[in-house]
Amino acid sequence: MAVLTGAWAQVSARVLRQREHGAGHRWLDLEVPGGIDPPAPGQFVQLLLAASASAALLPRPMSVAACRRRPRGWELGFLYAPIGTGTLALAALETGAHVGVLGPLGRGFPLDRPGTPVLVAGGRGVAPLLFAADALGRARRRCEFLFGARGRAQLVGLAQARARLARLGGRMHVCTDDGSVGWKGHVVALLERVAAQLEGPLVVHACGPHAMLKAVARWGLARGVPSFLAMESIMACGTGVCRGCPLPRSARGRAAFRREVVPSLYGNEEWAMCCTEGPVFEAAALDWEGIE
Amino acid sequence: MTISRAVDLRVRIGPMALANPVLTGSGTFGYGDELAHVVDVAALGGVVTKTVTLKARAGNPPRRIAETAGGMLNSIGLENVGLEAFVREKLPRLRGLGATVIASLGGETPRELERLLEALGGEAGIAGFEINFSCPNVARGGAAYWAVPRRLERTLQRLRPLTRAALIAKLSPDVTSVADLAVACERGGADAVTAVNTFVGMAVDLEQMGSRLGRATGGLSGPAIKPLALARCHEAARAVRIPVIGSGGIMSARDALEFIAVGATAVQVGTASFIRPRAAHDVLVGLRRLLAERGIARIADWRGVLAEAGPARRERPAAARRRTSHG
Repeated sequence: MAVLTGAWAQVSARVLRQREHGAGHRWLDLEVPGGIDPPAPGQFVQLLLAASASAALLPRPMSVAACRRRPRGWELGFLYAPIGTGTLALAALETGAHVGVLGPLGRGFPLDRPGTPVLVAGGRGVAPLLFAADALGRARRRCEFLFGARGRAQLVGLAQARARLARLGGRMHVCTDDGSVGWKGHVVALLERVAAQLEGPLVVHACGPHAMLKAVARWGLARGVPSFLAMESIMACGTGVCRGCPLPRSARGRAAFRREVVPSLYGNEEWAMCCTEGPVFEAAALDWEGIE
Repeated sequence: MTISRAVDLRVRIGPMALANPVLTGSGTFGYGDELAHVVDVAALGGVVTKTVTLKARAGNPPRRIAETAGGMLNSIGLENVGLEAFVREKLPRLRGLGATVIASLGGETPRELERLLEALGGEAGIAGFEINFSCPNVARGGAAYWAVPRRLERTLQRLRPLTRAALIAKLSPDVTSVADLAVACERGGADAVTAVNTFVGMAVDLEQMGSRLGRATGGLSGPAIKPLALARCHEAARAVRIPVIGSGGIMSARDALEFIAVGATAVQVGTASFIRPRAAHDVLVGLRRLLAERGIARIADWRGVLAEAGPARRERPAAARRRTSHG
């Protein structure tokens, strides 16, 4: 286990643009000045709105969906659903509005693992995986991209994702529970089908609802395919200080904790902090029965 | 800047001479080193560590955080590395920071606190101890157990001989009289009291039909509790001669100014650090500026200026004054 958490910082960013991204979701581009490191796929930032713009007290953790270098700093893209106090206030921001960005936080997908990367997205969990596909494309590595949802309406930004994958040379596989788009069935069943046609070794990187991630984790554990899951949690600080986002470790995770030098900021023998040790976890590290 | 630098912010808490009155709140700033890359911790009045207990504690099951109107509930449950790891791993790093370190200690019994202080009371690099008599999120040894004046007094009498460093008692606000607890602490030999810890609060989810936390209740912090905490701080400061450290919803230098005006000697910045990690530093910078703007040369001259506060005096229009004088 790597023991370093990248140094984060809090800076003031500016809204470049916001637009509808389909299925009730929004795409937000922020211009972030230099002074923070560029996030890696799977990492997240804390977005903080001015008190005058939002009734929410706490910042909102949000995974990064795109990162491009700008003359000074970075352009970060986010995909979100305006459904709560914080995200509704975010959706109301005009171009030029200021947003606090604290990051980059946590540990992202281990994309340098040898093997064919298989990216598995559920609904708006597509966001960090689009960023992962970008990074793999830049490294001239081809990925398999599985995108599943309950139905057409939950395939957030499917057209944009298809276009992006086509540019990157990745292969897109789509499924819906109701069969309204793509193959009819659950994304894990699709994963089983696609995996059978691929030459190993495979490495799975997934993001989506926890129920889906549980199923992907169990699939990977049963077949000995290393799987990395981007988890979600309610958070206060996002930096490991508040201890607000524990996820239960598996027996193997507890044993690894005892064996390795793990920073206390990452958690303790029983709980792993989603914000610092995660949000991306290897399937074997967590107790999936204990995750809500 | 030259004018603001002239403000004398030094305060004294028992044997501890602090460069300024701005401290971090326990549990909101880790063990002092986690935020050191963004905050000059040596510039703060002091850093209060996360509460340390004899044995490591894993903390409460999720969910541990629930945001509420103007505040947040937490149910962390005193998760910490325990005494042994604190001494082995944290203390050497704390000493290297150049900060004034106040170690927060928690125990389920007076004996546990004695053992902690026996181990740490003479350690170099710890300027003071804040005894957490007020955690709302543990089954044993929490706020309800300690909120008994006689127990506090006797416990502090046992702890007092174990250290020459400052001994501070952090109090729960969920009591009939914070003043009674503060007086008991003073009698027991405490150098100061911190008023106050979080308020017991609750948030429920009508869709999931249950608590929004892993336990039924948690501790409420943030701007929502500031008026409540200010009143408890005022009450405590009027009851004792030892310093009172104000805590509860302090987000800005103006908030700090209010607590000091009602009698606090120092203040703690807590939840604000979750939102802006540099919050304590910003409070310090702002405090210096605000006092200079008001022509206050020494923080001691500001302390307690509103301790006997009545209604704010306002310049009323002459007509209104006439009506009042006839009415």
